[in-house]
Amino acid sequence: MSKTYDEINEKIRKKQAVVVTAAEMKTIVADRGAKAAAKKVDVVTTATFGPMCSSGALLNTGHTTPRMKIQKAWLNRVPAYGGIAAVDLYVGATELAEGDPANKVFPGEFSYGGGHVIEDLVRGRDVVLKAEAYGTDCYPRQALETLVNLKDLNDAVLWNPRNAYQNYNVGVNATSPRPIYTYMGVLRPRMANANYSSAGELSPLLNDPRYRTIGIGTRIFLGGGVGYVCFHGTQHDPSVARNERGVPLGGAGTLAVIGDLKGMSARFLRGVSITGYGVSLAVGIGVPIPILDEEMALCTSIRDSDITAPVVDYSRNYPHNEGEPLGRVTYADLRSGFIKIGGRKVRTGSLSSLAKAKEIAGLLKKWIEEGSFLLGEPVEPLPGPSSGKTFRMLKERPIRRRR
Amino acid sequence: MIQTSAIFRFPKSLMDRPVICRVIRDFDVEVNIIQAHITPEEDGHMFAIVRGRKAAMDGAFGFLRDNDVQVILPAKNLVWDEEVCVHCGACTAQCPSGAFVLDPATAKVIFDAKKCIACELCIPACSYRAIESIGSRLGGKGDLP
Repeated sequence: MSKTYDEINEKIRKKQAVVVTAAEMKTIVADRGAKAAAKKVDVVTTATFGPMCSSGALLNTGHTTPRMKIQKAWLNRVPAYGGIAAVDLYVGATELAEGDPANKVFPGEFSYGGGHVIEDLVRGRDVVLKAEAYGTDCYPRQALETLVNLKDLNDAVLWNPRNAYQNYNVGVNATSPRPIYTYMGVLRPRMANANYSSAGELSPLLNDPRYRTIGIGTRIFLGGGVGYVCFHGTQHDPSVARNERGVPLGGAGTLAVIGDLKGMSARFLRGVSITGYGVSLAVGIGVPIPILDEEMALCTSIRDSDITAPVVDYSRNYPHNEGEPLGRVTYADLRSGFIKIGGRKVRTGSLSSLAKAKEIAGLLKKWIEEGSFLLGEPVEPLPGPSSGKTFRMLKERPIRRRR
Repeated sequence: MIQTSAIFRFPKSLMDRPVICRVIRDFDVEVNIIQAHITPEEDGHMFAIVRGRKAAMDGAFGFLRDNDVQVILPAKNLVWDEEVCVHCGACTAQCPSGAFVLDPATAKVIFDAKKCIACELCIPACSYRAIESIGSRLGGKGDLP
């Protein structure tokens, strides 16, 4: 017995759909089996919340009088990219405020950047827009300095080229005698701690490991509002080795997502300051998975104990692309607070918030139950394990200049 | 033996007198200085963990107060803003004393102020800047905990 998207959406419209969170689905499948679970449940809500680089907002400020073709722009002193059109600006999550001392005094604090601009905008705070231009006959204006507010912007779109990594590394410091400051947080010497970043069994792509239902056009919870999967994310790598359940043993799939910033909330969109590393944006994402058949019920029954992550040394191996993982641990091990690496007990810490992921899965469940959120049937699947798509390192080539 | 966190505020008239040295020698208490900012011609402050017998501690704090040192015994060694916190748990991997832990039932961070030893390893590990040191509060904004 199988269901279609249309059938499930018809039930959602009539408020008759059975919607459960991914956490609840584990128990249902364990108690009743996948077949009965597939019959009973229509939608499983998955979610994740954590710092996600490769995020940013596209803002269209509306035209000035006289008109201006913005060449250079800053939002609260954070440079925004204006080389798209006249008044379209892209503010990237990892951009630093101009004049930030970065790592000149190590480790840098990175107190404000692109991620914080986006958070300030969704909080409804005024943001200072400064812009310069060379001036043309049709766009004569050369300078602009004004306050802007999200509600007044012509368009504001959160447009993140790579979010929701399917799985991720566990970071440790195996060789440096001092603490190292990485995007995986502060890693203390002699493997005093191990940091991980995934919602594990609640995470969207771990509940649909071969991308059967999550594809281009999937409607999602994005930053507290509604968004869409608009493409596979950059660095999407379905070729990563997988276990017998199809779950990748490392990184693998990613999502490019888009949504109207005006409907979002700072509860699920937060600027982050990663000591010694830089700034970014923490994003909350929720993805509904239609339980089309028994296979999808089985996929969404995945447990933390079925998912492993590679333990990677960030003092030498990661920065220099050397070596092999120091081991593999399950998310059940990581969540226990300690893992064993080479016989040593190492304290674990999470960078992704399970509490927020649970909150998002619950909210999305409520939206669907209320009939206000329909499932989007993908118009195109994401490249899957047999697509041939893989991850390429940059091959550097010498530049020969002709005289 | 008892132990307490203490904040001392020194008036600038005391800058040339080694009052903490007197406290240690005359009252037999241990003073573990976590942070101090004491410069000539300015009021100074110190955040320390003080340990000793009850009678010795009472004597030491009495001596300091008699010498115009303001003694504040804060309820917490850190300021943790639960509203700013997203409950990721990055702090829990840094905390050597188990003051910051994740509650397995709710997946939320719990801070047990009594266990905090003011090592401040959690502060740079928090990407949301939800944890602030007593030292930064002493230097300016916000109430002491």
